[in-house]
Amino acid sequence: MDRLRFDRRRFCLALPALATAPARASAEVLRVLAWPGYADPDVVSVFERRTRAKVDVTYIDSDEAMWQKIGSNNGRDFDVFAVNTAELQRYIRRGLVSAIDEKAISNRGRQLPRFRDLHAIPGLVHDERVYAIPYTYSEMGLIYDRRQLPREPDSVAALWDTRWRGKVIAYDGGVHSFSLAAQALGLGSPFELNDKDWPRAVERLIALRRNVGAFYTQPDESVALFRERRAALLFANYGSQQLHALEAAGIDVGYAIPREGALAWLDCWAILRSARNPALAAAWIDYLLESGPGQVLATRQGLANTTSASEHYRAASNLVWLEPVESEERRNGLWSRIMAGDRADRVLSS
Amino acid sequence: MRLGIAVQLAALLALVGALAAGLTGFYANAASQDLLVASAQNQLLTSTQVLARRIAITREEISRDLRLLASHPAAIATLEQRDAARADEVATLFGLVMQANPAYVQIRLVSADDYGLERVRMDRRSTTIVRVQGEDLQEKGHYAYVSETLKLHAGSTYLSRISVARERGAYEGSRKPALRLAMPVANGQAQAIGVVVIHVELEGMFALLAADLPADFHLFLANGQGDVLIHPDPDKTFGFDKGRRVLVQDEFAPTGAIVKGEVDQVIFDAVDSVDGPPMIAAFVVHRIEGPSEERRLILGLARPLSDVLAQSRSLRTTIAQIVSGLCLACLLLAIPLARAFTRPINAVSLAARRLSSGLPPGQLPLERQDEIGSLARSFRDMRSQITRQLADLQTSHAELEHLARHDTLTGLPNRRLFEERLDQALAHARRYGEQLGILFIDLDRFKSVNDECGHEAGDAVLEAVALRLKTMVREADTVSRLGGDEFVVLLRTPGPQGHLGAIADKLLQGLEEPIAFRQLQLRVGVSIGISQYPRDGQTSIEIMARADRAMYTAKSSGRARFRFASEEMPG
Repeated sequence: MDRLRFDRRRFCLALPALATAPARASAEVLRVLAWPGYADPDVVSVFERRTRAKVDVTYIDSDEAMWQKIGSNNGRDFDVFAVNTAELQRYIRRGLVSAIDEKAISNRGRQLPRFRDLHAIPGLVHDERVYAIPYTYSEMGLIYDRRQLPREPDSVAALWDTRWRGKVIAYDGGVHSFSLAAQALGLGSPFELNDKDWPRAVERLIALRRNVGAFYTQPDESVALFRERRAALLFANYGSQQLHALEAAGIDVGYAIPREGALAWLDCWAILRSARNPALAAAWIDYLLESGPGQVLATRQGLANTTSASEHYRAASNLVWLEPVESEERRNGLWSRIMAGDRADRVLSS
Repeated sequence: MRLGIAVQLAALLALVGALAAGLTGFYANAASQDLLVASAQNQLLTSTQVLARRIAITREEISRDLRLLASHPAAIATLEQRDAARADEVATLFGLVMQANPAYVQIRLVSADDYGLERVRMDRRSTTIVRVQGEDLQEKGHYAYVSETLKLHAGSTYLSRISVARERGAYEGSRKPALRLAMPVANGQAQAIGVVVIHVELEGMFALLAADLPADFHLFLANGQGDVLIHPDPDKTFGFDKGRRVLVQDEFAPTGAIVKGEVDQVIFDAVDSVDGPPMIAAFVVHRIEGPSEERRLILGLARPLSDVLAQSRSLRTTIAQIVSGLCLACLLLAIPLARAFTRPINAVSLAARRLSSGLPPGQLPLERQDEIGSLARSFRDMRSQITRQLADLQTSHAELEHLARHDTLTGLPNRRLFEERLDQALAHARRYGEQLGILFIDLDRFKSVNDECGHEAGDAVLEAVALRLKTMVREADTVSRLGGDEFVVLLRTPGPQGHLGAIADKLLQGLEEPIAFRQLQLRVGVSIGISQYPRDGQTSIEIMARADRAMYTAKSSGRARFRFASEEMPG
């Protein structure tokens, strides 16, 4: 059917994108900035069918990347995003997020009582206005290979243990890394470093870098590295999500909460001030609190949701919920030098 | 309006010609376009394969450079003895290699100990190559290109994932897609004591590879998962690095089979691509041998379909010209052809019309050997047959006409013809005031000749009388046999009565002469009654009746004499 093909081609030449373009342009677009696993395609498509809007998802893999993406155009490139309670504070300070109309999120009634009381969660309510709705949470524990580590690591110091040199997988993120260093140094607060603490923390992190085999930013990447490098220890920035993925990959791993306490994050959905359609953004948040997306989060990603009790969450565990740090910029600036391989003098002289 | 056969035929011929030319043109055009597209696809596939081959060659060339640098005694000495002079030597060497290869943006010698500390590092900064030294040298042990390369055998090349370098201070302005190739440096005991790393900028490398491709060729490169690395639209490259994966299989559905590993190459028409003009494209898989974070690369070339078809534009114009020319030729040819066809038909038709008008047939296409010639010949035969039969008919008609008006024995006009002529003469005389004379002649002894000598003798007598009468009167006068032995003579403008009498005397004498019949000399006399117009009557009946009566008077008066009707008393 050469001839037929030929005709079709001519037809297509004659009718450039006219046929398809208007249909796409007319649909409203919701621009979502999310972490891996928060907006899987099947979850998105249900929402798209329901609202006839198109959801445009961009993924980030670090707090710093999110801050840059949103900040680069004063938040105008996105409508709704997922951020942890500590990071949220700098967005509120910069006036990038808007208050959420709680009544528009009817599924808040389905949330567990401790997530329903927004005043009880630090950082969500300012001047009686709600800025974010809790979505998922995890602690950043230590994942270890049970065959290489006979005993569960009981301290973050395990990451510095030269026995595992080259077999430690760590997360490439400045803020959490300095918190981790503060914990290792036994400082009072992992979120508030004093002037005299910086050189020590930098020294600790250079030592960590020298002990680490590879750094990751994405959960999938960490799983691949853990397997390929036959790693012994992993600092799980994504917590139970990574544990779930490693177990699914058939690796015999354990999960430990260090005695210094595991840093823990609570990710919430927030709406940007410059959102094109705040009602659509609120509908997105409301939809994600339904049982369908909640189930996907729990069973596929191994992440806790806020509407049902989590098997991963240990209320009695020693958790250190993230708080705003003294300076994200400073931590990230130093960290980028450390990651580049600079030695202490060079890092601190910057 | 009724159109003649010539017009209809001309129109039909022209139409058929135009249709044939048009269809030929259309299919020639279609076939040429299909051929062009097919050949363009093959050309694309070949170019893509050549490009893939060039990538392999380029990789081999980089490996060769790495081998040269990694096995260089100065590099080994720099790592083993930390000899500054040897390090300078290595730096010079690195600088020379970078000068020779514009795509190399950085070459480093990294030690296995000291946490992967760089020993020698040359960075390309815009146009110059700069050596990085002292405290600016960094520890790179936590990067895969160091830790993984150190695990390799001497001479093996490590190929990093193709990504956007995020490494701070890797080289100036380093936010461009790049890949790192590395090779271990081994000491005398075959232990890896360091690595040589070459940083290759993807764009620079592909700019060289694709330098001789036509300008309208679009180059695509994707990794094994389909993540787009090179694309004409820079926003679509390294989507994974920007949090929005852009996959080649989403862009071009047919490449899905390559990403899944089902096929090694695909050629397709990307007419359904969401944005951009319709394209034709060829994609091939390029497998990377040896240790690498990229197992496969997917390489593609595409061209806008319109560019391919543009080549057929001149051909299309030529075809259009040929078709138009043929149509015109058909039309021009159709007119004389139709005329040539209908002219002999018209000739036959004209001949038929002339036949009915009794005119000569004119030129007929008798010499033709076709159906028209046969028709003309049939027509000619038919025409000559009709002409012949018509002539026969006219002859018989004339004969009949003669018989009806003449006496068969003597050949003289009979009573009927005589009466017609008398009427004509009367009408003429009446109009012009002329006079007429009638001589009524009856043979005196005819009955006896008949009885004594037989009918043959009687007939001979009648013939002889008729002959003598004809010779004795003027040509303008009419001699007629009314029947039996009765003759009559019509004299036009007879003149005075005496003149009439003289004629009658002359006739009497002429008819007194014996008539030879076989050995016999037969004698018959005649009696003549004379009447005149207008003196003796106005009508032919009256005049004839007066002449007849005068003849009887002459006969009863003793035969062989004449008598004027005017001499008698009107009875």
